[in-house]
Amino acid sequence: MALRFEDDFLKKLEYLRVVSKRAFAGQNRADRLTPKRGRGLEFADHRPYAPGDDFRHIDWKAYKRLNRLLLRLFDEERDLPIYLMVDASRSMAEPAKFDLARRIAAALCYIGLAHLDRLTIVPFGRTLRPESSPGRGKGRIFRVFETLERLEAAGPTNLRQAFKDFASRPRQIGLTVIISDFLDPGGFEAGLKILRTLGHDVLVVHIASAHDREAGAFGEVQFVDAETGDLRAVEITPRLAAAYQAAWQAHATQLEHFCGRYGIGYVRADAEQPFEDVILKAFRQGRFLA
Amino acid sequence: MTFGALSAWAAWSFAAAAAALAAWLFMRRLRPPRLLIASLLIWQRVLDAPRALTLWERIRRAVSLILTAAIAAALALAIARPAPRSAAPSAARGRVLIVLDSSWSMRTLTRSGESRWKRAVAQARRTVAAESDNPVAIATTADGLIEGPTTDTTRLDAALDRAAPAGGDPAAWPALAGSGAVHFITDGAVQRRLPPGVVVHSVFEAAANAGITAFDVRPSAVPANAADAYLEVGNFGPAPQTVHVVVLRGGAAVYDRRIAMAAGESLRQVLPLARGGDAALHARVEAAGNALDIDDDAFAWMARSRPVRVTVVGQQTAWLRPLLAGDPDLAPTFTDPARYGMAVDDRAARPPAPDLIIFDRWAPSAPPDTAAIYVAPPAETPWLAPPGPRGPERAWDATTEPRPRWETTLDHPVVRGVDPLTFKIEAARPYGGEGLTPLARSERGTPLVYVSETGTRRLVLLTFGPDESNLASAPGFPILMGNAVEWLVRPDARPSQPPGLALFTPTTGQVTDPTGKPVPLARVPGAALAILRLPGLYVAEAGGARSTVAVNVADPQVSNTARTTLGRGDQARPVTAGASEQAWWIYLAAAAFLLVFGEWWTWLRRVTV
Repeated sequence: MALRFEDDFLKKLEYLRVVSKRAFAGQNRADRLTPKRGRGLEFADHRPYAPGDDFRHIDWKAYKRLNRLLLRLFDEERDLPIYLMVDASRSMAEPAKFDLARRIAAALCYIGLAHLDRLTIVPFGRTLRPESSPGRGKGRIFRVFETLERLEAAGPTNLRQAFKDFASRPRQIGLTVIISDFLDPGGFEAGLKILRTLGHDVLVVHIASAHDREAGAFGEVQFVDAETGDLRAVEITPRLAAAYQAAWQAHATQLEHFCGRYGIGYVRADAEQPFEDVILKAFRQGRFLA
Repeated sequence: MTFGALSAWAAWSFAAAAAALAAWLFMRRLRPPRLLIASLLIWQRVLDAPRALTLWERIRRAVSLILTAAIAAALALAIARPAPRSAAPSAARGRVLIVLDSSWSMRTLTRSGESRWKRAVAQARRTVAAESDNPVAIATTADGLIEGPTTDTTRLDAALDRAAPAGGDPAAWPALAGSGAVHFITDGAVQRRLPPGVVVHSVFEAAANAGITAFDVRPSAVPANAADAYLEVGNFGPAPQTVHVVVLRGGAAVYDRRIAMAAGESLRQVLPLARGGDAALHARVEAAGNALDIDDDAFAWMARSRPVRVTVVGQQTAWLRPLLAGDPDLAPTFTDPARYGMAVDDRAARPPAPDLIIFDRWAPSAPPDTAAIYVAPPAETPWLAPPGPRGPERAWDATTEPRPRWETTLDHPVVRGVDPLTFKIEAARPYGGEGLTPLARSERGTPLVYVSETGTRRLVLLTFGPDESNLASAPGFPILMGNAVEWLVRPDARPSQPPGLALFTPTTGQVTDPTGKPVPLARVPGAALAILRLPGLYVAEAGGARSTVAVNVADPQVSNTARTTLGRGDQARPVTAGASEQAWWIYLAAAAFLLVFGEWWTWLRRVTV
């Protein structure tokens, strides 16, 4: 699938920016405020001069008034590290789901790059897949598109292992967006807790399609698990189909409640929903884009 | 229950096998389709959760299995053509005769829309099925034995399919030697004397009907009219109704009225018919309560619609002029023997061909194909020479009988009603020639009147003329001439007759039905026989003349569909309308279809599997 957006849509994206609930100190200068005081343009505070401080920042006007050497402090504006973790397991292989996941990732990348954030795309399945090198600037957007286009959905899902791997590498703490269907037999809780424990600001994008939400067939069928290849013969009745729908809904609600409890952002993205609505409505209503 | 296509055990075995096969296929189950899903995670949660099955979920598979087997069994039984065992199985073993009343009233429609005949056929099939172990013969009252005796139900079924109401003689009754049981299926409209022991199955159901009970043409008593048509229409319904009566002459309506007729009322109408115009008359009735169609149309043929064209050839024909001119049904022309046979070049000026030629004391050298009357033709006419060696004129004179007395007369239409005593004959002489048959002879045996009839020609020959007799003034002569004209020109003129067997003159070459198709003729000594099955106008060609015969049902016994001659005892086995009238295989097929539809409908809604 070619990840290309209309110019109008790209212009709309440029007006948006990824919102992080917390301020993180980035590596490079950019336009995001950080908790650090540094060489920004906006005055932040004074502190007494100590030997070794850059005397260029001494506030001579204050010295004249107070007869004390005070150092002027400025807000440090840095970039935001954003990690886009895209579920590339076999359960995402349904074209509608995988395309939506990649398009969401591409749109978030474009927004981040437009605001000089450091974007890293981290595909995962059972473990982490080779991730893209961190980058900034809109000029990288085509490399990002290529990276996403090359992604293939394969292998099983293991959120816990993948997030553990993610945590095991030294990284700057930042905003971590997880785009996945969260259909992991091992559960999603442990993995998300790991990320939260690391101090990342985590945003969950729950990808779903009608094939996931509904039983999809009636009568006798043999379901094949896309990830494991396991077979399960089921005679689907209207009652059973309703039970399945309820179970899936419970699964989604459980994920949403978990995210709420741990301060993790949650956005539900249905494959049948128009993509622009997902980005321009769902994300903005959740205040994940501004 | 009996079966038309198979024996009982074979039919039940067939049904059981079909049901078993369907059940086996149901149980065998084809491999369910495989469906790739993202994860079994949710399904496992659903299926692993304890779930109480409803009663329907527990039994629905069994219900589907039973339905499938029932569909297969119903279809198999339908193929076997089942029928209920007759309510009155014959106790006697041996030949069984089933007689269907094929009178026209059996075409009457019942309230259910089917005819009495169809009911009778259905009852006959049931009886055949019930008597499947015995040889069965099928007969109708009109056609007699039409099939059997046989145990081959296929042949019997085919015979029942072929049979149809055809009128017939009310007195006719088919007989089958050695028959142990006789079933008669009738509506009882026509009174019959049945042999003892006949089991009567009544298909009678009172129905309203309006029909023509009489229609014919007869000569008018008023000289101004050629004929009168007599029409009789009856309303045999239980209630008054408006009956639309139309009489057409050719394509023109000569009578068109809507008549409010009381229940049981009859309309009798005489319609004067003028000379000229079309000879075909067609009467038709229409009414709301009209269960029988065969009596709605009636036909008549007005033979005297056009005067008979008569050409008189002779040198002294004045004595014939008053006789011929006085009959309005004749259009005579007189011509000289010298002009006879002269061709007329101008097509427009050429007179129409005569229907009859009268040769007065003259005869052509060869007989014409037209019907002809010869009055004392010359003795030297070659084709009328008496048998034996030809001699001089004196020889003829030698055979002439002076003052013969008309002594013996055969029974023939030409001489019927002719008083021989009114003739005073001075001399008569015999003639010869092929096919001449003397009708009247003198006491010495000299023929006085001859007739000859071949396939293409008819003639009447008088062996005495006006010169040798009082022919011109004899009171019997107009009768003789009238008879001769009728016999020669209208050989088969007759009143309308009911459908069935008709006798024609032996020289009849062809009879065509109202659609123009020839009717098969059976020739017996003295007559040609034909069966005129349906109402209409039939044309018979004989002796160079064409006669039209009108055939009508016109029978109040047939038209009165509200009554039956069957007594209560005779109706002990009434054939009822409704479900039992249809063949059972139709119901079985319909049931199978409904079950399939129900199974499919519930399967779509996941009610059944």
